[in-house]
Amino acid sequence: MILSVRDLAVSFRRDGQELTAVDHISFDVAEGETFIIIGESGSGKSLTGMSIAGLQPQAASVSGSITFKGRELLNRPDAELRRVRGREVGLIYQDPLGSLNPVWPVGDQIAEALTAHGLLGRAEAARRAVEMLDRVHIPDPRRVAQAYPHEISGGMRQRAMIAMALAASPSLLIADEPTTALDVTIKAQMLELLSELKRELSLTVVLITHDMGVVAEVADRILVMYAGRIAEIGDADAIMQRPSHPYTAALMASAMISEARPKQDLDAILGGAPGLGAFPSGCRFHPRCARARDDCSRVDPPRRPWGAVELACHHPVAADATHPLVEA
Amino acid sequence: MSVLAEPPRRIPRPRGVLTPLALLIVAALAAFTMLPSLIAPYDPIALAMSDRLKPPSLEHLFGTDEGGRDIFSRVVHGTRYSLGVAIVIVFFSALFGVIYGAVSGMARGWVDNVLMRIVDLFFGFPALVLALAVAAAMGRGLDSVALSLAVIWWPGYARLVRGEVLRLRERPHVESARALGVSELTILRRHIIPFVTQEVNVRVTTDIGFALVAVTALSFLGLGANSPTPEWGLLIRDSRSYFGSAWWYLVFPGTMIMLTATAFSIIGDALASRRSA
Repeated sequence: MILSVRDLAVSFRRDGQELTAVDHISFDVAEGETFIIIGESGSGKSLTGMSIAGLQPQAASVSGSITFKGRELLNRPDAELRRVRGREVGLIYQDPLGSLNPVWPVGDQIAEALTAHGLLGRAEAARRAVEMLDRVHIPDPRRVAQAYPHEISGGMRQRAMIAMALAASPSLLIADEPTTALDVTIKAQMLELLSELKRELSLTVVLITHDMGVVAEVADRILVMYAGRIAEIGDADAIMQRPSHPYTAALMASAMISEARPKQDLDAILGGAPGLGAFPSGCRFHPRCARARDDCSRVDPPRRPWGAVELACHHPVAADATHPLVEA
Repeated sequence: MSVLAEPPRRIPRPRGVLTPLALLIVAALAAFTMLPSLIAPYDPIALAMSDRLKPPSLEHLFGTDEGGRDIFSRVVHGTRYSLGVAIVIVFFSALFGVIYGAVSGMARGWVDNVLMRIVDLFFGFPALVLALAVAAAMGRGLDSVALSLAVIWWPGYARLVRGEVLRLRERPHVESARALGVSELTILRRHIIPFVTQEVNVRVTTDIGFALVAVTALSFLGLGANSPTPEWGLLIRDSRSYFGSAWWYLVFPGTMIMLTATAFSIIGDALASRRSA
């Protein structure tokens, strides 16, 4: 396991109250796999990703354990984490325009990833930046290296971001909603690029998204998060073919990738995700769940193995159910 | 097909005659400061008792003072003192304030708290009273004026910059630099300070006008330059006894102070409206 997360909890203090946004979750990421964390906004998926790099908001307190290649990363001094960031763990963000500094040329910022760690000198780093732009298939990389972020297109900015994150050859890439700001065609290109780079550079990818379409495209394994907890975790194919947690099933139904019912209307999950500090008792999904019964509101479902996957649900969708949501 | 997208539209400049006019005034002031002897027709110090208190004429544009000295020449030579000291005050205040505010904003936590309470302490004092006290304690002279005004001036920059740093450090591009393992110092230098300078430039330009008024005010109160230095505030102080008989003695130096302060204020406004979000 290249990355092991154990009992990770991220909480905030508000008005003297401890609010737990990520509630004691554990998972492993194997070397070379594409691991997807999926959930609605507020599910704690981004906080989980940021905590791995030690980039959670300052107000957050984090507990548990995160080991990367056998080394503890959680609550380590900043100087130590800085050596890991960029060098061993690369990050890309949702907003490629905002994530690039408007006052420096793109090439400079890619080079910074190398000079920051003292890996290369200035001139050498600049050459390497052009190479990286070429690697992410940006045409005329020499010219783009000298361009400012506002001078290049949105798709190219996202490619430049990827070049930046991978410049110092990290072995783990955390991508937080990397395709959210992009239109459908560019999104497809970007996922293709990520898969290609992952193969060529033998990367491990942790991809954080709310987009089931992305999952179908690239996932090896999936972690479904809801209200700070793990709903379901397991092999991507197993989950895609037969989602067992009602929440996963509902997510998939709402994304219309369920091939069984291509012509029907999309299902929306009723209600909204609960806010921090307003999590329901028992199973946190129960107020929105079509399968909820009495015990769901009282007893917190433990995580348990279920077929090929693990889930936290009292009444998983049965193997023979044709339509997961009809049966109440 | 070009790889590069279209260049962004320029932010339109505010139109009008005020800004060009203000720039013209500042250009003239710059010339006064750098080459006073070339511009001033007379010696600003030497007495010529036969020409006492002459009204404005082609010979003496601004008239003459009680020592027969050409007031225009004194004003031109005085630019170096009045405006020069104002610029020095603002420059060093800004330099110190930017560093102080940047440290405070980057450090956050208790360091930030302590540093900002110190700033509050300076803000709590009535500014001019504090400056008066410092100047009085140090004795008369332009150097003590400069120091005393710098002491009350820097906290404004510290607070401005600290706020900007706190705002900017949450920007995605700072976050992504942090994710690359870039050190905090480099982040400050490359990813935060360039965005702070825009705000600071606006403030500096406007402040030069205010500082000029403050310098001349302290000189007027007798804490600044010594006679016969042709400092503007001092000219006005000396003119008081002759106001009834020689209006030009007060009016021309006073107008210079007003024009200069207004010009910097207009340029500051123009810069402010041009800055990007």
